Amino acid sequence: MEDTITTRKHSRRHFLSRITYGAGGLVLLGSYGFSITRDNKNGVIRAISVDFEKCTGCRTCESVCSEYNNRVMVNGEMLNGLSNPARSNIRVYHFNPDVDIPSTCALCEDAPCIEACPVEPDPVTGRKALYRDDKLHTIVNDPIRCIGCQSCAIACAEKRAGVIHPDPETGNPMFMCTLCGGDPQCVKHCPYDALKYMEMPADRDLDKLAPEKLAQIMIDKFYNV
Amino acid sequence: MSTKGYYGRLLEIDLSTGKIEKTRIPDSDIRHFIGGRGLGAKILYDRLRPGTDPMSPENILMFMPGPFVGYPIPSSSRTCVVTKSPRTSPLEKKYDHSSTLSYANMGGFFGPEIRYAGYDGLLITGKSEKPVYIKIEDENVSIEDATEYWGMGTDKFDKIFHSRLGEGRYESCYIGPAGENLVPMACIINTAARAAGRGGTGCVMGSKKLKAIAVKGSHMPEVADLKRYNELLKKIRGSFMEKDDSVMNWRYGGTANALSSSSGNGTQAVKNYGEGTFAEIEEIGTEANRKKIWKRDFACYSCQLACKKSGLAKGAYGAQIVHDGPEYETGTMLGANLMISDLNGLHKLIYDGDDYGIDIISTGNTIGFLMEAMERGHIDSGFLDGIELSWGDVESSLELMRKMVYREGIGELAGKGVKALAQKIGKGSEEYAIHVKGHELAAWNIPVGSTYWAIVYSTCNRGACHMNGGNSRGQDGACLRDSLGACSFASSWYKDEVHYRHILSAITGLEWSEEEFNKAGTRIYTMEKMFNYREGFRRIDDTIPEKFFNNKFTYGEHSGAFVERDEFKNNLDNYYESRGWSKDTSRPEDNILRDLNLEFAI
Ligand code: SF4
Ligand code: SF4
Ligand code: SF4
Repeated sequence: MEDTITTRKHSRRHFLSRITYGAGGLVLLGSYGFSITRDNKNGVIRAISVDFEKCTGCRTCESVCSEYNNRVMVNGEMLNGLSNPARSNIRVYHFNPDVDIPSTCALCEDAPCIEACPVEPDPVTGRKALYRDDKLHTIVNDPIRCIGCQSCAIACAEKRAGVIHPDPETGNPMFMCTLCGGDPQCVKHCPYDALKYMEMPADRDLDKLAPEKLAQIMIDKFYNV
Repeated sequence: MSTKGYYGRLLEIDLSTGKIEKTRIPDSDIRHFIGGRGLGAKILYDRLRPGTDPMSPENILMFMPGPFVGYPIPSSSRTCVVTKSPRTSPLEKKYDHSSTLSYANMGGFFGPEIRYAGYDGLLITGKSEKPVYIKIEDENVSIEDATEYWGMGTDKFDKIFHSRLGEGRYESCYIGPAGENLVPMACIINTAARAAGRGGTGCVMGSKKLKAIAVKGSHMPEVADLKRYNELLKKIRGSFMEKDDSVMNWRYGGTANALSSSSGNGTQAVKNYGEGTFAEIEEIGTEANRKKIWKRDFACYSCQLACKKSGLAKGAYGAQIVHDGPEYETGTMLGANLMISDLNGLHKLIYDGDDYGIDIISTGNTIGFLMEAMERGHIDSGFLDGIELSWGDVESSLELMRKMVYREGIGELAGKGVKALAQKIGKGSEEYAIHVKGHELAAWNIPVGSTYWAIVYSTCNRGACHMNGGNSRGQDGACLRDSLGACSFASSWYKDEVHYRHILSAITGLEWSEEEFNKAGTRIYTMEKMFNYREGFRRIDDTIPEKFFNNKFTYGEHSGAFVERDEFKNNLDNYYESRGWSKDTSRPEDNILRDLNLEFAI
C-alpha cells in the first residue's frame, strides 16, 4: 500500500493503525461538508464544505485560522496573532500522488468525541469535560474538569476526521473548530473558493471524513491509478 | 536578542564529526545582507578559503530561507540553497578548483518549516561516511542512517520517507540517484516536484552523503510591529483576491503560458538555440496540457497564483505518469530545444529528470548540444555508445539522461555538461556549446532582445542563469527577492504601499528607505561578484557563446536574428560603467566597495 498512497503529513500516526485504504463503497459528491451548524427550527444544516477539486494546498486557510484563533491584545486592541500554521484548527494534509485534503471538525451530530469522554456530566449544566456549545454547536473543552485521558482524540481518529490532537503537556483536546464565532475565516480567505459555508443535507456519511480516505478518493478521481 | 523578524540563529551541522551547533548571526550582517541568498553569499565569502574544492568536506551547503519565509505573506516561501558551485570555472584558473558560488531557490513548505524550527538557516559541512539524513524538530537535531534509501528515486522516496518519520508534519528536501552518484548537474528536490535546480546543489549534497533533510517546528519568528504587519498582510492578500487577469493567467497555465508566447516572440531556445521559434509549440503548450494532461493546480505556502500543475500522462513509454509540468523551462529544454513535440514523451522526460534529481535545464541543453554535434558530423553514434541521436528523438534522450545519471559510458562525460563535452570533441564544437562559465544557458534565447538577454547570461554570478536581470537594477532587485524569500512571479503585486521594504520594516522594526533597500540589493550582488573575482573570474569570462554571433535564425517572424558582436561589447562596457566596475577586469572599484560596506573585500 505504501507505494501507492502515502500520507506525507502523518500527525495522526499512532491513531491510524486500524484504518485501511481502498475506496470500496465510498462515494464523493464533488464537495464534502465538515463543520455544521443546525438551524433549530427546521433542522436545516449549514456547513463548511470543501471542494477538493479546487483546493491547491496553499494553506492560506491554516494561516488565517491560526491568526484569528490566537488573537492577542496589543495596546488595548485585539489583533490577529502570528501564525505557525500548525496551530490551525483546519489542517491541510498533503499526499503523493499530488492531492491536498483540508480537514476540520465536522461537529458530528452523534459526536463520538463527547460520547467517549469519561467525565461525569455536571449535575447543573449536564456537561462532560467535552461538550457542545449551545449557540454554534461547536465542540468545546472544559480544561478544568478535563483529565487529559485522550479518549476523545482516539474516538475522533478512529471514527471520524481525526481532528483532535491532545495538548502534549496536559493531554487536553485541541484543534476543534470554533467557527470563528460564526464568521469562518478560512471560508472568507480561501483564494481558490474551495471552502463554502452553505446548506447541505443532514444525513451525510461521516465515516468518510478521514483525510486518507478522502485522499484515496481524490487520487482515483484525478489520476485513476 | 536579535533583530525582530529573525532568530539571529543558524543551525550548523558537521557531517564529518557529527557536531551540531547553534550559532549567532551578527546583527550587522542581517542589516546588510537581509537573509536568504544575500546572507548566504556573505557567509560563503567569510568562511571559504579561495579555491576550495566544491566537493570537499570544507564546502558549505546552506539552506537559507529569507525573513519573509514562514509568514503567510503571499508567495514568500522560498528557500535559497547557497554553496560553492561544482559547475563553473574561469578561463584562466587561479586555483585548481576555482569556481563561482551557486544559489538556487525553491518554493513549497520546506523553507517555512526551517523558520518554524527556530533557525534562519541551515549550514551543512563535512562529509559522512555512510548515507545519512538529518532530522530536525525545534531544538532536537539528529543525524540518522539513510542506507536503506540510497539509490531511491525522488518520487518513491517522497512517498516512503514521510510515512516513516513519525508524529507530526515534517517538510523535507532530498537528492535522487544523480546527486548520490555525484553527477555535477544534480539538483535538490522537494515534494517530488519542486527543485533547487541549478548550479549542482544536489551534487554537493551527494558529496556529503546526505540523502535528505526533514524538519518541523513549533515556533514563529516575532514581528516588531504586529498592527502594521497585519494591515499590510490584509492589503496584499486583498490585492491578489481581486483576481485580475494576471492572477487568473498564472492559475490557468503557470509559466507554461510562456511556451507559446516566447516561441511567438522568437525568444525560445529551439534546436540548441539555433532558432527562437518552434513550429510545433502548440503540441506541448498550455492548451494541449489543459486538454490532455493537467488535473489540478497546486500552490506553495500562502500563494494565490498556484502556478504548478499536476496531471496524468497515460501510455507514455509504457507508463502512467502522475507528475507536474511542463513549466516553461522544463517544456522548452526537454521539448522545443530538442525539437520534441510528443507530449507524452516530454512528460516522461520531465518525470525521469525530477525522479533522478537532475537539473533539467542543463540536461536538456546538453542533449541538444549532442544532437547538434551528431547533425554536424562532429561525433557519430560510436561516441554515444551506439545511440543514434537525432532531433526530436525521445527514446534516445531518455537513454542519454539515464546514462548521465548512472555515469555509464558517455554519460560520465555528458553529466559534466557541454563545456566538458566540447573540450573532448574539439572540431570547433565549443562554438555551439551553449554555456557561460561552464553553466548551461536556460530556456530564453538571446538574439531577439539581446540588449537584455546577453547581459543577463554573460554577467550572472552563478554562470548562465535566466533569473538574473539584464541591468544592474533588475539584478539587484532579484537579489533582494531571493534574500527576502519572495517569489519573482508575484513581485509585481508588491508595489507602492505594499512594497517589500514596507513589509520588511514592519517585521524588523527597522525603517527601510527606498535608497537603503536598493543599496542592499547592490551590496548583495557585489558581494557575490567579489566571491567570484577572488576565485579568478574576470571580464573575459563574462561572455556569451560564439554561436549567437555567427548563427542567424532561419524560421519564423524573427528569421535572420543574431547578436552583433560590437553591440554586445558596448552594452557590456555600459553595464560595467553603470556599476562602477572596471571595464578591463570587471572588478568593482574600491570606492564602490567602501560605499557598500564591503571594505573587507578590498
Ligand atoms: S485556503 Fe483553500 S485552496 Fe488553500 S489549502 Fe485551504 S482550502 Fe485549499
Ligand atoms: S468526532 Fe471529531 S469531527 Fe466529530 S465532532 Fe468530535 S471532534 Fe469533531
Ligand atoms: S471556521 Fe474558523 S476555527 Fe473553524 S477551521 Fe475555519 S478558520 Fe478555523
